Amino acid sequence: MNILREVASGLLKMFVGDAWLTVGVLSVVSLTGLLTGSGAAPPLLGGAILFFGCIVVLVASVAVYGRRHRR
Amino acid sequence: MIALTTAAPAVGAAFVASLVEVVEAFTIVLAAGTLRGWRGAVAGTAAGLAALATIVVALGPLLDQVPLHLLQLVIGVLLLLFGMGWLRKAVLRAAGIIALHDENVAFAAETANLSDTTTPRGSGFHWLGAVMAFKAVLLEGLEVVFIVIAVGAGRGLLVPASLGALAASVVVLAIGAVVHRPLARVPENTLKFAVGVILCAFGVFWTGEGLGIAWPAGDLMILAFGAVFLIVGLGAVAVIRQPRGVFTQ
Repeated sequence: MNILREVASGLLKMFVGDAWLTVGVLSVVSLTGLLTGSGAAPPLLGGAILFFGCIVVLVASVAVYGRRHRR
Repeated sequence: MIALTTAAPAVGAAFVASLVEVVEAFTIVLAAGTLRGWRGAVAGTAAGLAALATIVVALGPLLDQVPLHLLQLVIGVLLLLFGMGWLRKAVLRAAGIIALHDENVAFAAETANLSDTTTPRGSGFHWLGAVMAFKAVLLEGLEVVFIVIAVGAGRGLLVPASLGALAASVVVLAIGAVVHRPLARVPENTLKFAVGVILCAFGVFWTGEGLGIAWPAGDLMILAFGAVFLIVGLGAVAVIRQPRGVFTQ
């Protein structure tokens, strides 16, 4: 059971290494899905939101961690 | 017949990503074998590979049952989570914010773990070494399996991606068998940076396709996404870089 727990924990860490990054990515994907699914945004605009949203999430995550842990 | 230009990115991504994972598994198996005997380490490795094969054989056919758009969306999102996690960590390591992963240090830590136990050494079968090797092979192997599925499943490239992963395993095992020590000279962070960029590019592309977005220029958009992620990652390193030797964990 211990091994299974460790394997499960390892698998979880593969995708949820940083909670804020995970929340950010899922938010961007959900927003894109909502906008394109409801027809509020044309697919290409949805694609741009998805791509640039991911870039913003990545930069924000790195910048926040970098600022907090700078010596 | 799969075109080389279509298969090459999948093979390359699977090879480089698997190289990183196999090197990590190799370090732990080496520590287990060196300290607790090779019978247990080899048995644990074989059991880990058998468990992996069982998982792949059991779950692999299910992939064909999932509608393509749903498969692309799920794998795309998982790729984004996995790839952005790798890229974020690689950027922080390259910038000197967190310490670089060092296989020699990892080997020393695993060795210390095994040395602390009361299990007697000798030439017999040691369960501790076997369990350690099993866990390492299973966990790192699952990451390899995920990467192969992620870069191969949406385009019918599972076989080329698997060959890329297999080639990485063969390369690491061949070099490891010769040098018989942790493969510390593999530029792991550079590889993780590159793989993070590739996985993020694939992740955006497939998530978009899963959401019904028809990308202009088709597959070529993966290259464009990768180029932007690379530029952004390198830019982030340059902006937050701090002098070497000052790390947080």
